[in-house]
Amino acid sequence: MKPSELEAGWFPAGLQNYVLPKTAGRVVIADNDIALWRGEDGQIRAWENRCPHRGMRLSYGIVRGNTLTCLYHGWSYDGAGACAGIPAHPELTPPKTIRAKAYRAADAGGFIWVANPGETTAPPSIDGDWVPNRSVHIDATPVSLNELAEGMGAGLVSKITDHAGIVRVHGVEEEILLAFLDMKKHGAMIHTSVPASASEDVAIAVSKLTSRLRQVFKASSAA
Amino acid sequence: MKLYDYVLSGNCYKIRLLLDFLELSHEKRAVDFFPGREHKSDEFLQINPLGQIPVLEDDGAYIRDAQAILVYLASRYDPTATWWPVNDPSELGRVAQWLAFADSITSTASAARLHDVLGYDLDVAQARAGAHRLFRILDDHLANQELQGFNWIAGSNPTVADIACFPYVALAGDGGIELFYYPAIQRWIRRFVNLPRFKLMPGINIFD
Ligand SMILES: N[C@@H](CCC(=O)N[C@@H](CS)C(=O)NCC(=O)O)C(=O)O
Ligand code: FES
Repeated sequence: MKPSELEAGWFPAGLQNYVLPKTAGRVVIADNDIALWRGEDGQIRAWENRCPHRGMRLSYGIVRGNTLTCLYHGWSYDGAGACAGIPAHPELTPPKTIRAKAYRAADAGGFIWVANPGETTAPPSIDGDWVPNRSVHIDATPVSLNELAEGMGAGLVSKITDHAGIVRVHGVEEEILLAFLDMKKHGAMIHTSVPASASEDVAIAVSKLTSRLRQVFKASSAA
Repeated sequence: MKLYDYVLSGNCYKIRLLLDFLELSHEKRAVDFFPGREHKSDEFLQINPLGQIPVLEDDGAYIRDAQAILVYLASRYDPTATWWPVNDPSELGRVAQWLAFADSITSTASAARLHDVLGYDLDVAQARAGAHRLFRILDDHLANQELQGFNWIAGSNPTVADIACFPYVALAGDGGIELFYYPAIQRWIRRFVNLPRFKLMPGINIFD
């Protein structure tokens, strides 16, 4: 079975360090609730955030080795999404039809990227060495990458997707990666990465500029 | 030493956390907070006229207010002087500042949780908005601490400020406050639950 559909293309779902090895986390892409997790192998996985058993959020799950165990009744799933064990029936080999619904997921440029299972394009390839910098929640989603860059006082150098690009920020030496994730009723997340060679001062300056975007993209009702 | 305690109280949980971190032997006296309202009984009001828990009894004296109890316990019983860093005035100032911040988390995030979980009659939209305002400040602070190589609220070591902020931040989901808006806070929660001798409270869904 397929998970609920995203729009075509790759979405910047979060910073790479949002989900550390052996942990799980929750992300919303448009109207889709998604569990991200990494096994001890470090590989990022994105699944529909519903346990096939009774619908518990899998983002609350416990990662052991390279399996994810649902918090509710302990059903566990292997890295490919196949059910690997049901505690209430330890003797049973779980039927092959019980599977978590998986999206495509990849790491690039300090970000985690997610796409539909049937996405035919490769994940973005981003030159250079990047480190995750900052993720900030904003109330109102920018209409475009250009509007976001403008709100940051940045100039767009090159576009990676409709939601991510390399920008040059006024007063900051290095070019940075800037992306946004539309979460519809939840507003949006802004993500930034900086070159691995960036100084601590640059990292902090970019983080502060990113958090200032909350004032730029306010809910229209908030005065 | 005796703690007047209620299992589902985040403020009491702060004290249980520090008692465990410092491995202090103590007795717990369960207060029938819900539904019994024992904290408003004449007998309990003798112990704390504010009618609130937690209260700690030590050496024949009663101390109320979670933050005050944390300061008392750490200054008296922490031989390493790291949880309440008396020897470093500027760090100590930061710890005291975030202790006060923790109390405002109680009046916002915890209020939203009381509304959603125990059906308290209060303005939940206002409580949630207040919590989000504070969580943005905390997320900014923790993110910038990380970028400077510091894992904790006041610097390189966990202090009573981390303990005081932890429960109602980690329980905020119970009050309809979305923690996935705050990735730096989430990383800090994971570090906290991995501290030696940490024990989970019912309602906090984080496992590593
Ligand atoms: N500032 C106090 C607040 C304590 C507090 O609000 N305790 C709650 C239980 S978690 C309580 O007793 N509420 C009853 C009331 O305030 O009437 C502290 O930090 O200990
Ligand atoms: S809902 Fe996940 S195991 Fe039951």
